[in-house]
Amino acid sequence: MIERLLVSGGVILAVAAPVAQEAAPGALSPRNASYTIAARLDPARRTIDGTERIAWRNITASATGELQFHLYWNAWRDTRSSWMRERLLAGGRDLADRPPQDRASMDISSIAVNGTTLPFTYIAPGDGNTDDRTVIRVALPAAVPPGGAADIRVTWRAHVPRTYARTGAIADYFFLAQWFPKLGVLQDTGWNCHQFHAATEFFSDFGTYDVSLTVPDGWIVGATGREQSRKANGDGTATHRYRQDDVHDFAWTTSPDYVEFRQTFRHATLPAVEMRLLLQPEHKGQEQRHFDATIAALRYYGEWYGAYPYGHVTVIDPAWQSGAGGMEYPTLFTAGSRWMAPRGVASPEGVTVHEAGHQFWYGIVANNEFEHAWLDEGFNTFSTARAIEQAFTPNYLAERYFGGFVPWVFRDIAISRATDGNRLGGYRSAARMDAQITPTFRYWPPTAGAITYNKTATWLHTLERLLGWDTLQTIMTTYFQRWAFRHPTPEDFFAVANEVSGRDLTWFFDEAVRGSHVFDYGIQLLRSEHDRERDRHDTVVAVRRYGEAIFPVDVLVTFEDGSTARERWDGRDRWTMYRYTRAAKAKQAVVDPDRVLLLDLNYTNNSRTLVPRAGEASRKWMLTWVAWAQDLLMTYGFFV
Amino acid sequence: MTEAGGQRLEARFGILSCWRDGARRVTGAPSIVFGVWALSLLLALPLGVVLRGLIRDSLGSSLAADAAAEGVNYDWWNEFLQATGGIGTTFVPSIIGFAAPLRNLSDVMDNVPLAATLTSVVVAWLVVWALIAGGVFDRYARARTTHTPAFFAACGVFFFRFLRLGAIAAFAYWLLFRFVHGWLFVSVYPRWTRDLPVERDAFFIRLGLYLVFAALLALVNIVIDYAKVRAVVEDRRSMIGAIAAGARFVARHPRAAVGLYVLNTLVFVAVLVAYRLAAPGAEWRGPGMWVAFAIAQAYIVARVWAKLVFAASQIALFQSRLAHAGYAALPEQRALEPPIVEALGPAPAPPPRV
Ligand SMILES: [Zn+2]
Repeated sequence: MIERLLVSGGVILAVAAPVAQEAAPGALSPRNASYTIAARLDPARRTIDGTERIAWRNITASATGELQFHLYWNAWRDTRSSWMRERLLAGGRDLADRPPQDRASMDISSIAVNGTTLPFTYIAPGDGNTDDRTVIRVALPAAVPPGGAADIRVTWRAHVPRTYARTGAIADYFFLAQWFPKLGVLQDTGWNCHQFHAATEFFSDFGTYDVSLTVPDGWIVGATGREQSRKANGDGTATHRYRQDDVHDFAWTTSPDYVEFRQTFRHATLPAVEMRLLLQPEHKGQEQRHFDATIAALRYYGEWYGAYPYGHVTVIDPAWQSGAGGMEYPTLFTAGSRWMAPRGVASPEGVTVHEAGHQFWYGIVANNEFEHAWLDEGFNTFSTARAIEQAFTPNYLAERYFGGFVPWVFRDIAISRATDGNRLGGYRSAARMDAQITPTFRYWPPTAGAITYNKTATWLHTLERLLGWDTLQTIMTTYFQRWAFRHPTPEDFFAVANEVSGRDLTWFFDEAVRGSHVFDYGIQLLRSEHDRERDRHDTVVAVRRYGEAIFPVDVLVTFEDGSTARERWDGRDRWTMYRYTRAAKAKQAVVDPDRVLLLDLNYTNNSRTLVPRAGEASRKWMLTWVAWAQDLLMTYGFFV
Repeated sequence: MTEAGGQRLEARFGILSCWRDGARRVTGAPSIVFGVWALSLLLALPLGVVLRGLIRDSLGSSLAADAAAEGVNYDWWNEFLQATGGIGTTFVPSIIGFAAPLRNLSDVMDNVPLAATLTSVVVAWLVVWALIAGGVFDRYARARTTHTPAFFAACGVFFFRFLRLGAIAAFAYWLLFRFVHGWLFVSVYPRWTRDLPVERDAFFIRLGLYLVFAALLALVNIVIDYAKVRAVVEDRRSMIGAIAAGARFVARHPRAAVGLYVLNTLVFVAVLVAYRLAAPGAEWRGPGMWVAFAIAQAYIVARVWAKLVFAASQIALFQSRLAHAGYAALPEQRALEPPIVEALGPAPAPPPRV
């Protein structure tokens, strides 16, 4: 009874709310898909009853005779959805084997367009999977012409799952994203409304979100936007109203357990940002680490790319085991920490900087994550590593023992931005699995992440070293400013890169993005012999291209008298040779001595020295290993 | 002071003096400590040499070796790990310094399977223990110098007995790891923590389960320990009888047996803490690598010593309660004597059993 009353209350509110017909003056974005939502959460049943009113404008050059909506949560309804099938391909049945009450659903009770209730059908534009129920099509009685608008009203009920893909609940903790029927994006080529795939995220148009959330009274709510009002309903619930302009999504969280902190980000040249942190009680004492990481992202991304325009951001520290950690939503993101979080290890800082950074790559520059998730994830991974290096160096490796609870920090192993921050290791094993330009949802699921995140970050870092940071930064800034509040494609970035650098970088994007070749240069031979007759040393250096991909490289030969010879090789042939006749004997030769080509999969073979220290190094590590093995024997000795 | 209090006090002093007695016995026979240490080194070394070859091949004549020799070359290390197999896969950061014992203890408590390439070495180590344990226990039971032939004679006498005992113990441990560990950590722990949103609470639940499991391991361990003690001190042939006798002893002297066990465990923890403070990192280079190795070996020696004191103090406790110090039923085996000595008459009869 209470439930029904509240839902109808929501309808009234939705109808009363103003509908944005056109982008308002001063709007940052087209605001062509604006949502007014009223939703009520029943924590005991884990249901959401919602009504929404979408003010949609056709900003394309073509008319449309239909609407398409995402019903994301139906991906977790059963094991026949495309998301589940792909997830199973990537390994692990745990998500598929869940009991029904832990799964999700999103059932639409009605859709009305311009006052007329319309039927809808499930479609599967990506893979033809007729069991998938994550996209619906609504045929319109009359087409919406370019510039035309539609007033859409949807009523639905959803079941909140135990967390899938960062969304769901555990105990009293709720994190709710992709939780409402959401319009696809109409482009000049038609509707872009992909099914929910395992290796992709989301894509939608900008608008204004005005959302009223009814939750148990006393529960703390965090959401996209700023809270406009809060009122107790007298029935044990309270309604929180949030509003935000110029965003393309809305997520929220509620729990009675959050501890709230606030700070303000201030900067000489960037606008102030109010930071609100909702922390788990067990992480009290770590609040400054979250703030510092958020500040690092707002500062460096702001300085490098452009200002954060919203004036406020909400940082969510999700509950343990909620599975909601590390995800971005407009003006709100989840970070995540551990109860034991040693200093000197960039956790929670790493994830916080990353998710805060998505406010820029994803939030503001809103590429299509179904098709080119690397445009935000890869750019952001690159930027995260750069910001972490600036703000949180040194950042040591840590491992966890005893059920993954007890951390141990390796003060001998500082994480480097180049390889560990940009994650060359993860890319190495996935290097040949997909061409990056392939639509993300068609990536081979087990390696999709490495191509999306690691490879992009590594080639951006390569580009930084090739062009210089100043040039790359100008490229990124130009791309950011040109495509803020729009939906760029890879070609848009390539065009900016060529334009700003003044160089045709097509060859590089062909290798790194359009192809799946791997880079591997190496010194195959270094010989330096004494010529008695002339009392000179003849030195021969052979450099080889082991991989298919081509990149111009330097070759640096160092001689025993300290002199050097530096060569520039276009890197095209399978090998090339350099000969020197000098008074001094050669000492060492290195191809790509400045490690410009971070994409090089085997860096160990990039150098040769005539006095190798492999013996010393291997002895040292053998002794370390032997002591460990003896300790292992002593540990097993307990049993005898 | 009540009578019970008095007994407790006596038991406590008894424990301390037994421990001191055990420590004296172990320290009085340093060759055993160093022998066991050398065995651990000898068993670990061959695979270490194999690993060294893998590392050397991977580094080749590359400059990557310089960084690997001077500290940690983590970039190269990652490349190596992605290309290697076999024993190479055990070459992970957790081998450095104090992470090593932390990880090894953690792996045992979490029942992480041993790397296949290490199984033969660990099994060899356990068999070698069964082989030498008779001599070691005999030496500590007598609390006086026994000559090498006598040591090995005792080893020979008890080898098959200890193999049988080891098989029974292994079965008990297997049951614990296979069923109890599985039940505690694969069934109970996930069930109790499934809907838990607080990591700290989950950690304490896990800690509690570790304690339960460790207590069960200790229970089996203590019974097997005293079974070995009784087997040697009383020259028992039946290992089932020895286990029953060991259990009886623990049951009749629970405070002393458990107290001594806890004390020895604390000594082991103290050794760990000392290593936590002294453990070498990866920064040792050149000749310094040998200093780092020496520190690590000193720790292994300390672990060996602590393990042997564990046994020797249990022998001392047993002898202080049921036998007398230095008593062992088995006649001491001596080197073959010249016939003329034999002609002088038989050795004196052993003292009667009590
Ligand atoms: Zn991301």
